[in-house]
Amino acid sequence: MSEHLGRATAWLTEAVPRARLAWFRTVAYLFIAADLVWFTPWVRHHGQLPADFYRPLLVGRLAHLPIPTGPLVEAVYWLLLTAALAAATGRAPRLLGWTVFVLYAEWMVVAMSYGKVDHDRFALLVALAALPTAGPAAYGDRIRTERGGWALRVTQLAAVATYFLSAWAKLRFGGPQWLTSATLTWALLRRGTPLGQPLTDVPGLLVAAQFGIMAFELLSPLVFVLPRRWRHLGVAFFYAFHLCVFATTTISFIPQLVALTSFLPLERLGDPRRRRALRLEVAGERARERAGGRAAG
Amino acid sequence: MSHDTLSPSGRRLRLAATLIGAVLLLAGTIAGTDDDFPFGPFSMYASAQRLDAPVADTRIEAVDTGGRRWILTQTDTGIRRAEIEGQLDHFTARPATLSALASAYERRHPGAPALTTIEIVVRWHEVRGGHPTGRYNDQTRAVWHP
Repeated sequence: MSEHLGRATAWLTEAVPRARLAWFRTVAYLFIAADLVWFTPWVRHHGQLPADFYRPLLVGRLAHLPIPTGPLVEAVYWLLLTAALAAATGRAPRLLGWTVFVLYAEWMVVAMSYGKVDHDRFALLVALAALPTAGPAAYGDRIRTERGGWALRVTQLAAVATYFLSAWAKLRFGGPQWLTSATLTWALLRRGTPLGQPLTDVPGLLVAAQFGIMAFELLSPLVFVLPRRWRHLGVAFFYAFHLCVFATTTISFIPQLVALTSFLPLERLGDPRRRRALRLEVAGERARERAGGRAAG
Repeated sequence: MSHDTLSPSGRRLRLAATLIGAVLLLAGTIAGTDDDFPFGPFSMYASAQRLDAPVADTRIEAVDTGGRRWILTQTDTGIRRAEIEGQLDHFTARPATLSALASAYERRHPGAPALTTIEIVVRWHEVRGGHPTGRYNDQTRAVWHP
Protein backbone atom coordinates (compact mmCIF):
# COMPACT_ATOMS: atom_id res chain seq x y z
CA MET A 1 0.00 0.00 0.00
CA SER A 2 2.64 2.50 1.09
CA GLU A 3 4.71 1.56 -1.97
CA HIS A 4 1.74 2.40 -4.23
CA LEU A 5 1.20 5.62 -2.33
CA GLY A 6 4.88 6.47 -2.75
CA ARG A 7 4.70 5.84 -6.48
CA ALA A 8 1.51 7.91 -6.80
CA THR A 9 3.10 10.78 -4.87
CA ALA A 10 6.25 10.59 -7.01
CA TRP A 11 4.06 10.84 -10.13
CA LEU A 12 2.09 13.69 -8.61
CA THR A 13 5.28 15.65 -7.92
CA GLU A 14 7.30 14.57 -10.97
CA ALA A 15 9.91 17.27 -11.52
CA VAL A 16 9.69 19.61 -14.52
CA PRO A 17 12.19 22.22 -15.74
CA ARG A 18 11.67 25.51 -13.91
CA ALA A 19 11.57 27.22 -17.31
CA ARG A 20 8.32 25.37 -18.06
CA LEU A 21 6.83 26.59 -14.80
CA ALA A 22 8.01 30.15 -15.55
CA TRP A 23 6.28 30.13 -18.92
CA PHE A 24 3.11 28.56 -17.54
CA ARG A 25 2.99 31.22 -14.87
CA THR A 26 3.28 33.96 -17.48
CA VAL A 27 0.59 32.39 -19.68
CA ALA A 28 -1.84 31.88 -16.78
CA TYR A 29 -1.43 35.33 -15.22
CA LEU A 30 -1.49 37.14 -18.56
CA PHE A 31 -4.72 35.29 -19.27
CA ILE A 32 -6.21 36.60 -16.02
CA ALA A 33 -5.46 40.15 -17.16
CA ALA A 34 -6.90 39.44 -20.62
CA ASP A 35 -9.94 37.76 -19.07
CA LEU A 36 -10.76 40.89 -17.11
CA VAL A 37 -10.34 43.22 -20.06
CA TRP A 38 -11.48 41.19 -23.07
CA PHE A 39 -12.94 37.76 -22.46
CA THR A 40 -15.47 38.35 -19.68
CA PRO A 41 -16.11 42.11 -19.64
CA TRP A 42 -19.67 41.46 -18.36
CA VAL A 43 -18.40 40.62 -14.86
CA ARG A 44 -17.53 44.25 -14.27
CA HIS A 45 -21.11 45.34 -14.99
CA HIS A 46 -22.48 43.21 -12.17
CA GLY A 47 -21.45 45.98 -9.79
CA GLN A 48 -24.07 48.21 -11.41
CA LEU A 49 -26.96 45.78 -10.96
CA PRO A 50 -29.52 46.19 -8.16
CA ALA A 51 -28.74 44.14 -5.06
CA ASP A 52 -31.76 41.86 -5.48
CA PHE A 53 -30.21 40.35 -8.61
CA TYR A 54 -27.39 38.98 -6.47
CA ARG A 55 -27.83 35.30 -5.66
CA PRO A 56 -24.61 34.50 -3.82
CA LEU A 57 -22.96 31.13 -4.33
CA LEU A 58 -22.39 28.86 -1.33
CA VAL A 59 -18.76 29.98 -1.11
CA GLY A 60 -19.88 33.63 -1.05
CA ARG A 61 -22.36 32.92 1.76
CA LEU A 62 -19.85 30.90 3.80
CA ALA A 63 -17.25 33.66 3.52
CA HIS A 64 -19.86 36.37 4.19
CA LEU A 65 -18.72 38.23 1.10
CA PRO A 66 -20.34 41.64 0.67
CA ILE A 67 -22.99 42.31 -1.98
CA PRO A 68 -21.07 43.58 -5.03
CA THR A 69 -21.36 47.33 -5.47
CA GLY A 70 -19.88 49.55 -8.17
CA PRO A 71 -16.90 50.76 -6.11
CA LEU A 72 -16.16 47.27 -4.75
CA VAL A 73 -16.14 45.67 -8.21
CA GLU A 74 -14.00 48.50 -9.61
CA ALA A 75 -11.51 48.13 -6.76
CA VAL A 76 -11.21 44.37 -7.29
CA TYR A 77 -10.89 44.91 -11.06
CA TRP A 78 -7.96 47.32 -10.85
CA LEU A 79 -6.17 45.53 -8.01
CA LEU A 80 -6.51 42.20 -9.78
CA LEU A 81 -5.36 43.61 -13.12
CA THR A 82 -2.27 45.11 -11.49
CA ALA A 83 -1.47 42.00 -9.44
CA ALA A 84 -1.94 39.66 -12.43
CA LEU A 85 0.36 41.70 -14.67
CA ALA A 86 2.97 41.84 -11.90
CA ALA A 87 2.64 38.08 -11.26
CA ALA A 88 3.10 37.38 -14.98
CA THR A 89 6.69 38.60 -14.65
CA GLY A 90 7.41 35.72 -12.25
CA ARG A 91 8.51 38.05 -9.43
CA ALA A 92 7.46 37.37 -5.83
CA PRO A 93 5.56 34.24 -6.92
CA ARG A 94 4.17 33.46 -3.50
CA LEU A 95 2.96 36.92 -2.50
CA LEU A 96 1.65 37.94 -5.91
CA GLY A 97 0.31 34.46 -6.59
CA TRP A 98 -1.84 34.37 -3.44
CA THR A 99 -2.98 37.94 -4.06
CA VAL A 100 -4.20 37.00 -7.55
CA PHE A 101 -5.82 33.83 -6.22
CA VAL A 102 -7.81 35.63 -3.51
CA LEU A 103 -8.88 38.49 -5.78
CA TYR A 104 -9.83 36.20 -8.66
CA ALA A 105 -11.85 34.01 -6.28
CA GLU A 106 -13.83 37.10 -5.25
CA TRP A 107 -14.10 38.03 -8.94
CA MET A 108 -15.59 34.60 -9.65
CA VAL A 109 -18.21 35.06 -6.94
CA VAL A 110 -19.14 38.38 -8.53
CA ALA A 111 -19.25 36.68 -11.94
CA MET A 112 -21.25 33.56 -11.09
CA SER A 113 -23.76 34.89 -8.54
CA TYR A 114 -26.22 36.39 -11.02
CA GLY A 115 -28.17 33.43 -12.34
CA LYS A 116 -25.56 31.63 -14.44
CA VAL A 117 -22.53 29.55 -13.46
CA ASP A 118 -19.83 28.74 -16.02
CA HIS A 119 -17.98 25.44 -16.08
CA ASP A 120 -15.03 26.41 -18.22
CA ARG A 121 -12.47 27.36 -15.58
CA PHE A 122 -12.11 24.74 -12.86
CA ALA A 123 -8.61 23.78 -14.04
CA LEU A 124 -7.53 27.41 -14.23
CA LEU A 125 -8.68 27.97 -10.63
CA VAL A 126 -6.66 24.92 -9.58
CA ALA A 127 -3.64 26.38 -11.36
CA LEU A 128 -4.10 29.70 -9.55
CA ALA A 129 -4.30 27.87 -6.21
CA ALA A 130 -1.18 25.78 -6.91
CA LEU A 131 1.13 28.30 -8.61
CA PRO A 132 1.89 30.32 -5.45
CA THR A 133 3.38 27.16 -3.89
CA ALA A 134 5.56 26.29 -6.89
CA GLY A 135 8.62 28.33 -5.96
CA PRO A 136 10.80 30.63 -8.05
CA ALA A 137 11.37 30.03 -11.76
CA ALA A 138 12.91 31.90 -14.68
CA TYR A 139 12.54 31.36 -18.44
CA GLY A 140 16.07 30.04 -18.96
CA ASP A 141 16.16 28.01 -15.73
CA ARG A 142 16.97 24.34 -16.40
CA ILE A 143 16.84 23.26 -12.77
CA ARG A 144 14.12 20.66 -12.31
CA THR A 145 11.48 21.40 -9.70
CA GLU A 146 9.10 19.06 -7.90
CA ARG A 147 7.04 21.90 -6.45
CA GLY A 148 6.55 23.17 -9.98
CA GLY A 149 5.83 19.62 -11.16
CA TRP A 150 2.98 19.30 -8.67
CA ALA A 151 1.44 22.62 -9.74
CA LEU A 152 1.43 21.56 -13.38
CA ARG A 153 0.24 18.02 -12.56
CA VAL A 154 -2.79 19.13 -10.56
CA THR A 155 -3.69 21.56 -13.33
CA GLN A 156 -3.54 18.71 -15.84
CA LEU A 157 -5.61 16.49 -13.55
CA ALA A 158 -8.23 19.23 -13.14
CA ALA A 159 -8.37 19.83 -16.90
CA VAL A 160 -8.95 16.14 -17.61
CA ALA A 161 -11.39 15.85 -14.69
CA THR A 162 -13.41 18.59 -16.37
CA TYR A 163 -13.92 16.29 -19.37
CA PHE A 164 -14.36 13.04 -17.49
CA LEU A 165 -16.73 14.41 -14.87
CA SER A 166 -18.83 16.25 -17.44
CA ALA A 167 -19.54 12.81 -18.94
CA TRP A 168 -20.54 11.77 -15.42
CA ALA A 169 -22.83 14.82 -15.14
CA LYS A 170 -24.47 13.90 -18.46
CA LEU A 171 -25.23 10.45 -17.09
CA ARG A 172 -26.46 11.94 -13.81
CA PHE A 173 -28.76 14.59 -15.31
CA GLY A 174 -29.57 13.24 -18.75
CA GLY A 175 -29.12 9.51 -18.18
CA PRO A 176 -28.00 7.09 -20.90
CA GLN A 177 -30.71 8.53 -23.16
CA TRP A 178 -28.55 11.67 -23.38
CA LEU A 179 -26.69 9.86 -26.15
CA THR A 180 -29.72 9.75 -28.44
CA SER A 181 -31.38 12.93 -27.20
CA ALA A 182 -31.81 16.22 -29.04
CA THR A 183 -29.35 18.08 -26.81
CA LEU A 184 -26.97 19.19 -29.58
CA THR A 185 -29.96 20.14 -31.78
CA TRP A 186 -31.16 22.25 -28.87
CA ALA A 187 -27.72 23.84 -28.42
CA LEU A 188 -27.37 24.65 -32.12
CA LEU A 189 -30.91 26.04 -32.41
CA ARG A 190 -30.21 28.35 -29.50
CA ARG A 191 -26.73 29.51 -30.37
CA GLY A 192 -25.59 27.86 -33.59
CA THR A 193 -23.29 29.86 -35.88
CA PRO A 194 -23.88 29.95 -39.66
CA LEU A 195 -21.50 26.97 -39.68
CA GLY A 196 -23.31 25.16 -36.86
CA GLN A 197 -26.97 25.75 -37.58
CA PRO A 198 -27.16 23.73 -40.84
CA LEU A 199 -25.91 20.67 -38.92
CA THR A 200 -29.36 20.33 -37.30
CA ASP A 201 -30.71 19.22 -40.70
CA VAL A 202 -28.25 16.35 -41.24
CA PRO A 203 -29.94 13.13 -40.09
CA GLY A 204 -28.02 11.18 -37.47
CA LEU A 205 -25.03 13.49 -37.42
CA LEU A 206 -25.69 15.11 -34.06
CA VAL A 207 -26.52 11.81 -32.35
CA ALA A 208 -23.23 10.42 -33.71
CA ALA A 209 -21.49 13.53 -32.36
CA GLN A 210 -23.08 12.90 -28.94
CA PHE A 211 -21.67 9.34 -28.91
CA GLY A 212 -18.31 10.80 -29.93
CA ILE A 213 -18.33 13.43 -27.18
CA MET A 214 -19.27 10.91 -24.50
CA ALA A 215 -16.54 8.50 -25.68
CA PHE A 216 -13.91 11.24 -25.77
CA GLU A 217 -14.84 12.52 -22.31
CA LEU A 218 -14.83 9.07 -20.73
CA LEU A 219 -11.52 8.15 -22.38
CA SER A 220 -9.79 11.49 -21.70
CA PRO A 221 -7.86 10.19 -18.61
CA LEU A 222 -5.92 7.91 -20.97
CA VAL A 223 -3.88 10.99 -21.87
CA PHE A 224 -1.89 10.31 -18.70
CA VAL A 225 -0.80 6.80 -19.71
CA LEU A 226 -0.01 7.50 -23.36
CA PRO A 227 3.63 7.69 -24.48
CA ARG A 228 4.80 11.29 -24.78
CA ARG A 229 4.31 11.69 -28.53
CA TRP A 230 0.77 10.31 -28.32
CA ARG A 231 0.08 12.39 -25.28
CA HIS A 232 0.76 15.52 -27.29
CA LEU A 233 -1.57 14.25 -29.99
CA GLY A 234 -4.19 13.72 -27.30
CA VAL A 235 -3.80 17.31 -26.14
CA ALA A 236 -3.98 18.46 -29.77
CA PHE A 237 -7.27 16.55 -29.99
CA PHE A 238 -8.60 18.44 -26.93
CA TYR A 239 -7.75 21.73 -28.64
CA ALA A 240 -9.35 20.57 -31.89
CA PHE A 241 -12.52 19.62 -29.99
CA HIS A 242 -12.81 23.13 -28.54
CA LEU A 243 -12.14 24.64 -31.96
CA CYS A 244 -15.09 22.69 -33.40
CA VAL A 245 -17.33 23.67 -30.49
CA PHE A 246 -16.35 27.30 -30.93
CA ALA A 247 -16.88 27.26 -34.69
CA THR A 248 -20.39 25.82 -34.34
CA THR A 249 -21.68 27.47 -31.14
CA THR A 250 -19.17 30.26 -30.18
CA ILE A 251 -18.66 28.53 -26.81
CA SER A 252 -14.94 29.09 -26.30
CA PHE A 253 -13.77 27.47 -23.04
CA ILE A 254 -10.70 29.73 -23.18
CA PRO A 255 -9.73 29.22 -19.49
CA GLN A 256 -9.62 25.47 -20.14
CA LEU A 257 -7.42 26.04 -23.21
CA VAL A 258 -5.02 28.03 -21.01
CA ALA A 259 -4.96 25.28 -18.36
CA LEU A 260 -4.21 22.68 -21.06
CA THR A 261 -0.88 24.40 -21.79
CA SER A 262 0.29 22.68 -18.57
CA PHE A 263 0.75 19.59 -20.78
CA LEU A 264 3.11 21.33 -23.20
CA PRO A 265 6.92 21.56 -23.14
CA LEU A 266 6.71 25.33 -22.74
CA GLU A 267 10.41 25.57 -21.87
CA ARG A 268 11.08 25.24 -25.60
CA LEU A 269 9.89 28.82 -25.97
CA GLY A 270 13.38 29.64 -24.69
CA ASP A 271 14.65 32.58 -22.74
CA PRO A 272 13.84 35.90 -24.43
CA ARG A 273 16.53 37.71 -22.43
CA ARG A 274 19.20 35.17 -23.31
CA ARG A 275 18.18 35.27 -26.98
CA ARG A 276 18.59 39.03 -27.00
CA ALA A 277 21.93 38.77 -25.23
CA LEU A 278 23.04 36.16 -27.76
CA ARG A 279 21.97 38.35 -30.68
CA LEU A 280 23.90 41.30 -29.26
CA GLU A 281 26.93 39.11 -28.71
CA VAL A 282 26.86 37.79 -32.30
CA ALA A 283 26.35 41.30 -33.68
CA GLY A 284 29.29 42.57 -31.60
CA GLU A 285 31.50 39.75 -32.79
CA ARG A 286 30.64 40.46 -36.45
CA ALA A 287 31.34 44.15 -35.95
CA ARG A 288 34.72 43.28 -34.43
CA GLU A 289 35.45 40.90 -37.31
CA ARG A 290 34.62 43.59 -39.86
CA ALA A 291 36.72 46.14 -38.01
CA GLY A 292 39.54 43.58 -37.72
CA GLY A 293 39.23 42.75 -41.44
CA ARG A 294 39.56 46.40 -42.42
CA ALA A 295 42.54 46.84 -40.14
CA ALA A 296 44.21 43.79 -41.65
CA GLY A 297 43.44 44.94 -45.21
CA MET B 1 21.69 22.80 -6.69
CA SER B 2 20.40 21.25 -9.90
CA HIS B 3 17.22 19.85 -8.45
CA ASP B 4 14.45 21.57 -6.47
CA THR B 5 13.22 18.64 -4.34
CA LEU B 6 10.35 18.49 -1.89
CA SER B 7 10.69 17.58 1.75
CA PRO B 8 8.70 14.53 2.93
CA SER B 9 6.24 16.87 4.69
CA GLY B 10 5.90 19.06 1.57
CA ARG B 11 5.11 15.92 -0.40
CA ARG B 12 2.54 14.72 2.13
CA LEU B 13 0.89 18.13 2.25
CA ARG B 14 0.52 18.18 -1.54
CA LEU B 15 -0.84 14.64 -1.62
CA ALA B 16 -3.41 15.61 1.03
CA ALA B 17 -4.40 18.81 -0.81
CA THR B 18 -4.83 16.85 -4.04
CA LEU B 19 -7.01 14.23 -2.34
CA ILE B 20 -9.19 16.83 -0.59
CA GLY B 21 -9.72 18.65 -3.90
CA ALA B 22 -10.57 15.38 -5.64
CA VAL B 23 -13.07 14.37 -2.93
CA LEU B 24 -14.81 17.76 -3.03
CA LEU B 25 -15.05 17.67 -6.81
CA LEU B 26 -16.33 14.11 -6.83
CA ALA B 27 -18.91 14.92 -4.15
CA GLY B 28 -20.02 17.96 -6.15
CA THR B 29 -20.36 15.87 -9.29
CA ILE B 30 -22.35 13.16 -7.54
CA ALA B 31 -24.67 15.25 -5.37
CA GLY B 32 -23.89 18.95 -5.84
CA THR B 33 -25.47 21.80 -7.77
CA ASP B 34 -24.22 24.97 -9.47
CA ASP B 35 -24.40 26.63 -6.06
CA ASP B 36 -21.31 24.64 -5.02
CA PHE B 37 -19.09 26.40 -7.56
CA PRO B 38 -16.28 25.65 -8.27
CA PHE B 39 -16.88 22.09 -7.07
CA GLY B 40 -20.36 21.70 -8.56
CA PRO B 41 -21.17 19.25 -11.36
CA PHE B 42 -19.91 20.08 -14.86
CA SER B 43 -23.47 20.09 -16.11
CA MET B 44 -23.12 22.09 -19.32
CA TYR B 45 -25.48 20.56 -21.89
CA ALA B 46 -25.93 17.57 -19.60
CA SER B 47 -29.72 17.35 -19.81
CA ALA B 48 -31.26 14.98 -22.33
CA GLN B 49 -33.51 17.11 -24.52
CA ARG B 50 -36.49 15.15 -25.84
CA LEU B 51 -36.64 14.55 -29.57
CA ASP B 52 -40.11 16.08 -29.85
CA ALA B 53 -39.94 18.77 -27.17
CA PRO B 54 -40.00 22.37 -28.37
CA VAL B 55 -36.71 24.25 -27.92
CA ALA B 56 -36.82 27.56 -26.06
CA ASP B 57 -34.74 30.41 -27.45
CA THR B 58 -34.92 33.51 -25.26
CA ARG B 59 -34.36 37.04 -26.50
CA ILE B 60 -34.70 40.50 -25.05
CA GLU B 61 -36.34 43.04 -27.35
CA ALA B 62 -36.12 46.78 -26.88
CA VAL B 63 -37.95 49.73 -28.41
CA ASP B 64 -36.61 53.26 -28.10
CA THR B 65 -38.30 56.68 -28.36
CA GLY B 66 -37.33 56.75 -32.05
CA GLY B 67 -39.49 53.66 -32.66
CA ARG B 68 -36.52 51.40 -33.33
CA ARG B 69 -37.06 47.77 -32.23
CA TRP B 70 -34.08 45.46 -31.86
CA ILE B 71 -32.65 42.60 -29.81
CA LEU B 72 -30.74 43.76 -26.75
CA THR B 73 -27.51 41.77 -26.54
CA GLN B 74 -24.75 41.43 -23.98
CA THR B 75 -22.88 44.14 -25.88
CA ASP B 76 -25.80 46.54 -25.29
CA THR B 77 -26.25 45.92 -21.57
CA GLY B 78 -23.29 43.94 -20.26
CA ILE B 79 -25.73 41.30 -19.01
CA ARG B 80 -25.55 37.81 -20.46
CA ARG B 81 -28.58 36.12 -21.99
CA ALA B 82 -28.02 33.07 -19.79
CA GLU B 83 -28.21 35.28 -16.71
CA ILE B 84 -31.56 36.66 -17.82
CA GLU B 85 -32.76 33.11 -18.49
CA GLY B 86 -31.42 32.08 -15.09
CA GLN B 87 -33.52 34.80 -13.42
CA LEU B 88 -36.54 34.55 -15.73
CA ASP B 89 -38.84 33.70 -12.82
CA HIS B 90 -37.68 36.88 -11.10
CA PHE B 91 -38.50 39.02 -14.17
CA THR B 92 -41.88 37.43 -14.89
CA ALA B 93 -42.92 37.87 -11.26
CA ARG B 94 -41.72 41.48 -11.14
CA PRO B 95 -41.38 42.96 -14.65
CA ALA B 96 -40.53 46.34 -13.07
CA THR B 97 -37.08 44.94 -12.29
CA LEU B 98 -36.34 45.01 -16.04
CA SER B 99 -35.57 48.68 -15.43
CA ALA B 100 -32.13 47.40 -14.41
CA LEU B 101 -31.60 46.39 -18.06
CA ALA B 102 -32.76 49.81 -19.24
CA SER B 103 -30.38 51.64 -16.94
CA ALA B 104 -27.54 49.27 -17.90
CA TYR B 105 -28.24 50.11 -21.56
CA GLU B 106 -28.46 53.85 -20.91
CA ARG B 107 -25.23 53.85 -18.92
CA ARG B 108 -23.44 52.29 -21.87
CA HIS B 109 -25.13 54.50 -24.48
CA PRO B 110 -25.28 57.99 -23.01
CA GLY B 111 -27.09 60.31 -25.40
CA ALA B 112 -28.88 57.48 -27.25
CA PRO B 113 -32.71 57.67 -27.47
CA ALA B 114 -34.27 56.36 -24.24
CA LEU B 115 -35.96 52.95 -24.11
CA THR B 116 -39.76 52.85 -24.05
CA THR B 117 -40.24 49.08 -23.94
CA ILE B 118 -38.30 45.99 -22.96
CA GLU B 119 -39.78 42.55 -23.58
CA ILE B 120 -38.49 39.11 -22.76
CA VAL B 121 -39.68 36.85 -25.56
CA VAL B 122 -39.22 33.10 -25.64
CA ARG B 123 -39.32 31.57 -29.11
CA TRP B 124 -40.41 27.94 -29.02
CA HIS B 125 -38.95 26.09 -32.01
CA GLU B 126 -40.96 23.01 -32.96
CA VAL B 127 -38.81 19.88 -33.07
CA ARG B 128 -39.83 16.48 -34.53
CA GLY B 129 -37.60 13.43 -34.35
CA GLY B 130 -34.68 15.58 -33.21
CA HIS B 131 -34.90 18.00 -36.13
CA PRO B 132 -36.39 21.48 -36.23
CA THR B 133 -39.47 21.73 -38.45
CA GLY B 134 -38.91 25.45 -39.03
CA ARG B 135 -42.19 26.31 -37.24
CA TYR B 136 -42.15 28.27 -34.01
CA ASN B 137 -44.29 30.41 -31.76
CA ASP B 138 -43.25 33.39 -29.67
CA GLN B 139 -44.28 33.79 -26.05
CA THR B 140 -43.83 37.13 -24.29
CA ARG B 141 -42.83 36.47 -20.68
CA ALA B 142 -42.33 39.98 -19.30
CA VAL B 143 -42.94 43.53 -20.51
CA TRP B 144 -41.51 46.71 -19.06
CA HIS B 145 -42.39 50.36 -19.75
CA PRO B 146 -40.78 53.30 -17.93
